[in-house]
Amino acid sequence: MIKACLHCGNDTQKIAEDFCCLGCSSAYKIINKLGFKNYYNLRLIDPKERKIKPEIEEKIDLNEFVFDQKNGHFSISLMVQGIHCAACVWLIESILKKQENVVKARINLSRKSLFLEWVGEKEDGNKIAAIICDIGYKLLPFDEEIIKAESKKYDDTILKALAVAAFGAGNIMFFSIILWVYGPQTIGANTRNLLHFFSALIAIPVVIYSARPFFLSAFRSIKSGYPNMDLAIAIAIFLAIAVSLLESLRGQEYVYFDSAVMLIFFLLIGRYLDMKARKKAFSIASEFTMLSASFGRVEIDGKTKILPVKDIKKDMILIVAAGEKIAADGVVIEGEGEVDASLINGETLPKKITVGAQVFSGMINLELPLRIRVTKTAQNSLLAEIIRLSEEVENKKNHYIRIADRLSKIYTPAVHAIAFATFSLWCFYLHAGWESALMKATAVLIITCPCALALAVPIVQTIVISNFIKRGILVKSGEALEKLREIDVVIFDKTGSLTVGKPSLTEVFLLQNNQKISLNNEQKELYLKLAASLAVKSKHPISAALSKSYDGALEELQIFENKGFGLESVYQSKLLKLGRKGFCDIKNDVNLNSFEDENYITSFMKFGEDELVFLFSDQLKEDSKLVVEQLKSLGKKIILLSGDVEKSVKIIAKKIAISEFYFEQTPTSKAEFLQNLKSQNHKILMIGDGLNDAPSLAAADVSISFSDGSDISQNIADIIIQGQKLAPVISVINSSQRAIHLMKQNLLIALIYNLIALPFAVAGFVVPLVAAFAMSSSSLLVLFNSLRINKCQA
Amino acid sequence: MSVLIFLIPITLFLGLVGVMAFLWSLKSKQYDDLEGSSNRILFDDEDEDEDDESHTKPHSKHEK
Repeated sequence: MIKACLHCGNDTQKIAEDFCCLGCSSAYKIINKLGFKNYYNLRLIDPKERKIKPEIEEKIDLNEFVFDQKNGHFSISLMVQGIHCAACVWLIESILKKQENVVKARINLSRKSLFLEWVGEKEDGNKIAAIICDIGYKLLPFDEEIIKAESKKYDDTILKALAVAAFGAGNIMFFSIILWVYGPQTIGANTRNLLHFFSALIAIPVVIYSARPFFLSAFRSIKSGYPNMDLAIAIAIFLAIAVSLLESLRGQEYVYFDSAVMLIFFLLIGRYLDMKARKKAFSIASEFTMLSASFGRVEIDGKTKILPVKDIKKDMILIVAAGEKIAADGVVIEGEGEVDASLINGETLPKKITVGAQVFSGMINLELPLRIRVTKTAQNSLLAEIIRLSEEVENKKNHYIRIADRLSKIYTPAVHAIAFATFSLWCFYLHAGWESALMKATAVLIITCPCALALAVPIVQTIVISNFIKRGILVKSGEALEKLREIDVVIFDKTGSLTVGKPSLTEVFLLQNNQKISLNNEQKELYLKLAASLAVKSKHPISAALSKSYDGALEELQIFENKGFGLESVYQSKLLKLGRKGFCDIKNDVNLNSFEDENYITSFMKFGEDELVFLFSDQLKEDSKLVVEQLKSLGKKIILLSGDVEKSVKIIAKKIAISEFYFEQTPTSKAEFLQNLKSQNHKILMIGDGLNDAPSLAAADVSISFSDGSDISQNIADIIIQGQKLAPVISVINSSQRAIHLMKQNLLIALIYNLIALPFAVAGFVVPLVAAFAMSSSSLLVLFNSLRINKCQA
Repeated sequence: MSVLIFLIPITLFLGLVGVMAFLWSLKSKQYDDLEGSSNRILFDDEDEDEDDESHTKPHSKHEK
């Protein structure tokens, strides 16, 4: 019976074996020897994570990334791939702490990063890291800039403000309860004034500290000319505090310090939840980009060094091993073979290159090691060009006014007008004295302050974004959810979006007498098994497709790899060859044009005298057709916009019945196409994953990319989908519709609530107790309504 | 009621200590890895007897 590998959980592929490979068996031994075998009982394997199978590959030299702390201590931060659960954290930390020279080893599970500090030599870092690699984890240095950008964007300001506001609200409430329950006749005017004084003492610093986000946002909104809800909030808070201060100085009965502070507290809760959800989505997204780390191996003075992309200069010699990403634009000076350019220009077929060929950063070298002379620095590369273009397009975008702000555009002036009218009514008509009139106007502002309004949108948004994260959909901006509702055109990129983006086996034929003959099941089993057994040794996408097409146990073969041509072995004393037509010595002359019309990639196998042809193509994702149909039934116009050649695009368009398609599009022409559509008042959803899609993703109203797409398109896209499926597109659209519906409902509830309370405020019945009660209950109502979205989705 | 003059500042002071403690814990990055911290607490116990073993080993850090 075939068992799962004791260490990594893969199939061992051999009977009565405990391990799938030598690496796993020695990793198991290391862990047992150190006394950590409990790890295997404790761990929970996360199927989405990389298996902890040790790789024999050449390890990255970490010296470049070591930070010298000058006192004999060195430290490094690394991303750890393969952390499945807390047991992995425990294992790695415990093993590292057993090393004599390790001072500190700490894993951040949320970020899956490791901070390592040691004493001794700088070079020891590599040795220490090797231990972790040997038990099957993969360590990668990462770009600190990404973390910095993240912490700058989502710093602790809101949480700090929230803590201070909570302190303020709690303490002021002590005084307020006394003030509400006992009139001045019980506690005496002096005690009341004392309590007012302490309330002011708390409220003023709290407002200055905690309400800053609102004041700043209000200020920005005035400057940009789009007054938002924060402006109304800022005015209400300011007036409430100012009037209360005035009243307490005059020794009057009512002050609104508590309402003002509570208002800030409630609003900050909404802000904090909103930020937390977006931060989570953002950090998962940045993890993807970090994992596809951008480093290049450069040859300097005969030595190879690993440099971050930004330090690779013109005329340096870049060495790219098979299967690696090319780190900079340049010209090939040694080696030939094929590169995968699908992320750059959307072409599915590997591109053949020889000495003198131009290559771009982001292409993946498929066959032989290449030496490349860098012709452009990172700042001038194709990638930088695309980023510049995307930014340019992005800047041209119209400012989108969100639902809440749209409402507040009418609501805020109306409320301010009513407050002013109230003041005038009491001051000039009823002659109540200006202080008392001002009090009543302030009550109007407090009771109508869009507290519930400001919570209505972020709470729904938070719940929706968190739910999406669980399903592998990362929504980076709440705006996108609102915009999705207005979409009428959906533009697809082909490679990697509608299709898988990698070739997969479509058909196999036996060649006899210059004819192609279909295989029976028995033959199919045998030949696929042989092909897959050969293919495991190669990293070429076609080999990967072959290995994937067969899931039974493989034959153990002595394989000889003839790089760039094919693989060779002997099975049952018959010669076995897999690769190009010439390499396999195929005698049959079959007209292969009929295959190429369908845009197949061909590969041949010869086993003894049997000749076979394998046909591969970049197939549609399994649910592409369904998704396109559903989008059509939702009334969206579908357009296919691809950088690939006419033939491939046509075939795909025909298969899923898209009538409008464009081929051989450049990044610029794609973006122009979108801008053209936009000028005709269309709202566009763009779905793409390649570098060449980046500018059009930036141009679209809403953009969706995939977690295995290019880094730049992931950075730009509003929404990132993990995995190979397209169906999340539909669920995003549906959920966003429900979310908007709920947001509107919340806004309506808040509005009705305010409308009911308004006459009381104008009439002067809203004493601080009523204001506090009204405010908190309307917020709670909105909150409970928002929680219903979980029910809708279940 | 004059006792309030003392009691209120005391409550405020205690409250402030709480806020400061929170802000300090925030600043010292104790909220950076909530997922890890919540799990880590479970593992130290499991570790206990193995740790005892390692105390007797020459290369244990505690003896350095």
